[in-house]
Amino acid sequence: MSWIDQHHCLIASNAASTSEQQAARCNGAFFLYLPLCLSLMAFFLGCGESAPSTNTGGAKKVTIGIAFETLQTEYWAAGFDAIKSELNQRGFTFQEAIADGDPNRQLQQVKNFITRKVDGIILVPKDAKSCIPAIRAANAAKIPIVLFNRPAGESDAKSVAVQCDNYKISKETVEYMVEQAAKVGTKHKAMIVLGDLGDINAVGRRDGFEAAVAGKEALIEVVARVPSEWNQEKAQAGVVNGLQAHPEISMIFTSSDFLLPSIVSALKSAGKYYKHDEKGHVILGGFDGDATAYQMLKEGYLDATGVQDVYFEASSSVQAIVDMIAGKDVEPLIRDPGFVLHRDNCESMAARTWGASVSKPSKK
Amino acid sequence: MFQRVIQSGWLTLVLCAIYCLVMAPFASGFATFENAGNVLVAMLPLLIVASGQTIVLIAAGIDLSVTSVIALTSIAGAAMITTDGGPLAGTALGTPVAVAIMLLVGSGVGLANGFCVAWLKMPPFIVTLTSMMLFSGLAVWWTQSKSIYHLPSSFLFLGKNMWAATMVTGLVVIGIHWLLTRTLIGVRLRAVGHNAQTARVSGVNVRGTVLIAYVLCGVSAALASILITSQLETGSPVQWQNNLLDVVGATVIGGTSLYGGRGSVCWTASGVLLLALIDNSLNLLNLSHFTIMMSKGAVILLAALLDTLRFRTNGASVI
Repeated sequence: MSWIDQHHCLIASNAASTSEQQAARCNGAFFLYLPLCLSLMAFFLGCGESAPSTNTGGAKKVTIGIAFETLQTEYWAAGFDAIKSELNQRGFTFQEAIADGDPNRQLQQVKNFITRKVDGIILVPKDAKSCIPAIRAANAAKIPIVLFNRPAGESDAKSVAVQCDNYKISKETVEYMVEQAAKVGTKHKAMIVLGDLGDINAVGRRDGFEAAVAGKEALIEVVARVPSEWNQEKAQAGVVNGLQAHPEISMIFTSSDFLLPSIVSALKSAGKYYKHDEKGHVILGGFDGDATAYQMLKEGYLDATGVQDVYFEASSSVQAIVDMIAGKDVEPLIRDPGFVLHRDNCESMAARTWGASVSKPSKK
Repeated sequence: MFQRVIQSGWLTLVLCAIYCLVMAPFASGFATFENAGNVLVAMLPLLIVASGQTIVLIAAGIDLSVTSVIALTSIAGAAMITTDGGPLAGTALGTPVAVAIMLLVGSGVGLANGFCVAWLKMPPFIVTLTSMMLFSGLAVWWTQSKSIYHLPSSFLFLGKNMWAATMVTGLVVIGIHWLLTRTLIGVRLRAVGHNAQTARVSGVNVRGTVLIAYVLCGVSAALASILITSQLETGSPVQWQNNLLDVVGATVIGGTSLYGGRGSVCWTASGVLLLALIDNSLNLLNLSHFTIMMSKGAVILLAALLDTLRFRTNGASVI
């Protein structure tokens, strides 16, 4: 250290307040502090035994860990409630955890479930791949794990998935929309609002749409493919831009109903939001069957939506866990057949539509 | 007495101990070695990022771009070595080069932030907020929002080996602590944080000191990104997007001052531990995600209040 550096050091140190000096004293105890910090954690956390989940009667109750990536759409909230309801009906207890879109946090939550020695785990991952370490952790602990609605990608990790046939249901939904377009008799320009293409469900829905319009170029011309990344603001901005670039768009399919409010807002701004029996109606279709979609369908603004049977998926997930605990063989992929909800079957299929049971009045 | 308590750097660690004692009887599975391992693994990446943040806070700055650095470096490294077409896939030097690229990207972002703050005299809050938006956007644009998978086992080693990850984190923390307490740079950082004008008059190279703080913060975020990416086996353009409050919060909870000049990486370690314990125990108590978020928010708010009290009891005016 040169004399001038020593000079700097001296003056700079003088500039520091009492608290800084205290800080320096405290820093001197580093080699005591950090090991103490870690040993403190080990001591306090290691002073007890983990308690298995038991009811007050002493008989062991089945406990399931439910780990969801998010609850920020109606579908996930309904799925979460449906699973808890199914577990309650069977007399099971449950632990719950929401990762707020963070796969790293979800991995820790799954490890927490393992620590608590749950009997099974139902997981909604962020995407197909980042969940694999969590599945491996469950596999290593010999705890059965079921992926709700989003299957894992190919790997050595073992899990069961319950998923609707996104391709089939979206294809059928768009085919219904095409039928409505044919009734009008003129050529239609169409837009699809895509989901996050890192999500296998979004890919299946996009492919279903493309398959339904393929070979019908004389009737339907797809002029806009709007990426949303499952983000409402991005969807709205994309649809507004699409409608400005192609004001003649008369058919829109969204990969998820939770994006419908964004689309409705954009349509209203463009002066194109009309009921099916009004002039200028844009043929509108979606996927999920949420409360907004059900209400819009009843009011005549929406033409069709592909419904995921959330109750089927919830009961199948729990049943799969029960079967795996019992040592039975379970198919790695359980398909939710789903169905298309449209104006003609809106009333008759209401009981099977999860959005109908949480339906809310629309805001015009 | 009150002043001594709130000025103490041990306060958060004592709170951790009390918190463990209170929670152990109520949270089933909390007081186990397995769970201690879970808490330890959960706190490692946060500890690395928060240690870097400590350096910047001591120099009276703030770096809000750390989560975007984690995302950008995550995809930069993963894109090089993924077996789905990475240019370095399958080569012996793939993993070391990818790690070097991640560290270079992190230091580059830190350099840009430091330059804007030190040379252009821009407010750190605005500089790092906008760089967060810029680099998060760049990460999403680069990958078109797609995650990158199929990383080589040599890269995944760190994420799968808890002891290796703990050792790396420990080395980073010890290194930063040594820098802050045993080198001239540490003294200069505190001097600049207390009063940049006085430090300048005293002959301290304020610009260079601030630049070093941001570069080190960027590098520490890149190091955390290596750990997170290998743990999740995924390079993601939105990696750690929602954890910014945890980074700043853990640092402030530990006792590092938002007003600059006061701080220690040891205190940050206890802040990280407290946040990890809260997250873990409330999760084990089966409280909802929203309750956990509210609880953590309240703790961070209390820590900021305590920081203001410390600042006032030192005779300074907050406004």
